[in-house]
Amino acid sequence: MQISRRKFLEWIALAGTGSLLPGMGVAADRLEVKALDELLRVNLPRPGLVPGETGAVGRVLVIGGGMAGATVAKYLRLWGGARVEVTLVERNAQYTSCIMSNLVLTGQLGMSSLKFDYAALARNYGVKIEIGDVVQVDPIGHRVMLAGGKYLDYDRLVIAPGIDFLTIPGLESATAQDAVPHAWKAGAQTLRLKDQIQSMPKGGSFVLTIPKAPYRCPPGPYERACLVADYLKKSKPGSKVIVLDANPQITAEPENFSRAFNETHAGVVEYHSGVGLQGIDASTRTLHTSLGTLRANVINAIPPQKAGSLVINAGLANVGGLWAGVDVLSYESTAARDIHVIGDAAATTQPKAGHIANAEAKVCAGAIVRLLRGESPDPAPVTNSACFTPITMETASWLTVVFGYDPLTRTMKPVGGKASEAHAPSSEHFKDMIKWFNNLKVDTFY
Amino acid sequence: MVLGGSLPVQAGEHPGRLLASNCFQCHGTDGKAVGDMEPLAGKDVYSDLKEMQLGLEGDPDSIMRPHALGYTDEQIRWIADYFRAQPER
Repeated sequence: MQISRRKFLEWIALAGTGSLLPGMGVAADRLEVKALDELLRVNLPRPGLVPGETGAVGRVLVIGGGMAGATVAKYLRLWGGARVEVTLVERNAQYTSCIMSNLVLTGQLGMSSLKFDYAALARNYGVKIEIGDVVQVDPIGHRVMLAGGKYLDYDRLVIAPGIDFLTIPGLESATAQDAVPHAWKAGAQTLRLKDQIQSMPKGGSFVLTIPKAPYRCPPGPYERACLVADYLKKSKPGSKVIVLDANPQITAEPENFSRAFNETHAGVVEYHSGVGLQGIDASTRTLHTSLGTLRANVINAIPPQKAGSLVINAGLANVGGLWAGVDVLSYESTAARDIHVIGDAAATTQPKAGHIANAEAKVCAGAIVRLLRGESPDPAPVTNSACFTPITMETASWLTVVFGYDPLTRTMKPVGGKASEAHAPSSEHFKDMIKWFNNLKVDTFY
Repeated sequence: MVLGGSLPVQAGEHPGRLLASNCFQCHGTDGKAVGDMEPLAGKDVYSDLKEMQLGLEGDPDSIMRPHALGYTDEQIRWIADYFRAQPER
């Protein structure tokens, strides 16, 4: 009984909007939301045991509870054992996943399926959770100060603050930012953008601007363009998606996204590369670009990015003043001893994305455990980036690349030179995306 | 199995652990997968990975075919050795 219900829900989730359930209108939409959300509910496995003694002893403080920070906290305990004391400091009681959040824009997924708290890390692995805001890092005194004046001491500090945004001219005020949401950190902005898209008139225009690399989630903007185009095709016929990319070409999965723009979404998506964005007038929804001035019903401007402000304020942004230089054997900062930076804030040859942030976190955790035992980090770490990207509301593509340490350049080098991508998008890959996300979230937060 | 590699072995730490952790994102922590994903804990993945490298195993457009090509034979031996040693539950 359960299996057939599940299969039914899966079928509904993958079916096109309303097309297989004519006349059900709103009810069908609601069922679809429930269906994909249902597929993201899984039975949790028995968690691994924290060993009593591994030879590693020390206090590790982790700042930031996203994909990188949550993973490193878990694995420091799982691999380091009970005598490695781990405290995770995070501003918010819940994390909202950016991965899968473009499916919120199309109305296929509810935000609650993308929210995770830290209770399982505390319960399963004994990670101490401190909800608070770090206002100061003292690398000499080996301690950080929280807003309110509390100090936390560390032997090793891991900082995983993710990204912050540079301001697009014209979008300095909170009002302007509300009118032109980036939705590049999932949360309130995602819902605001969803409301704007769903309120668009038929035959309207949606303009998406992509900043110069490096930015968080290389395929993400192109995925968003595809999903919004597919949604508009079905719900707002005659509408256009105009993509203004600051990069000279598509930065990830170029073959699948080119085909999606030129074939699958032909007549809806208009893609322009190498476009400079000079500014946006939020009140009139006008963009000033190197192509000229244009107006849109909805503007989704993804701003240029930098490491989370904590990295910059702590003096760790020694790569272009924007990103943290690290030794990729341990992710120790090249600017300060005993401080490690992982995930999107670090300047490496690896992409800024959740799946590989999880891999970087494991390399970092393994290295810290060895350092706390007086040993050296693994001299040949391997990481991988893999992700599934919807091309329509029912199909997805994927990319994958394995990185290995190159001792000559001291960087992580892609094996085979570059990422591979799917031959073609398919509904099978869409189902695999759900399996991927379910396991990634459990490996990170549970 | 006799492992031909020479990864530095640390006390109490399986030498394939960090390498095998690359599989955890999709196949679960220590290979204990959730949902419909194939679990790897307690299994011998060596021959499957080798066949994927040759394009003989898995769906022709499966992500695992190119992904498997990212690892050397020696690395695949360590990964397989790690998962074989994991309890299934």
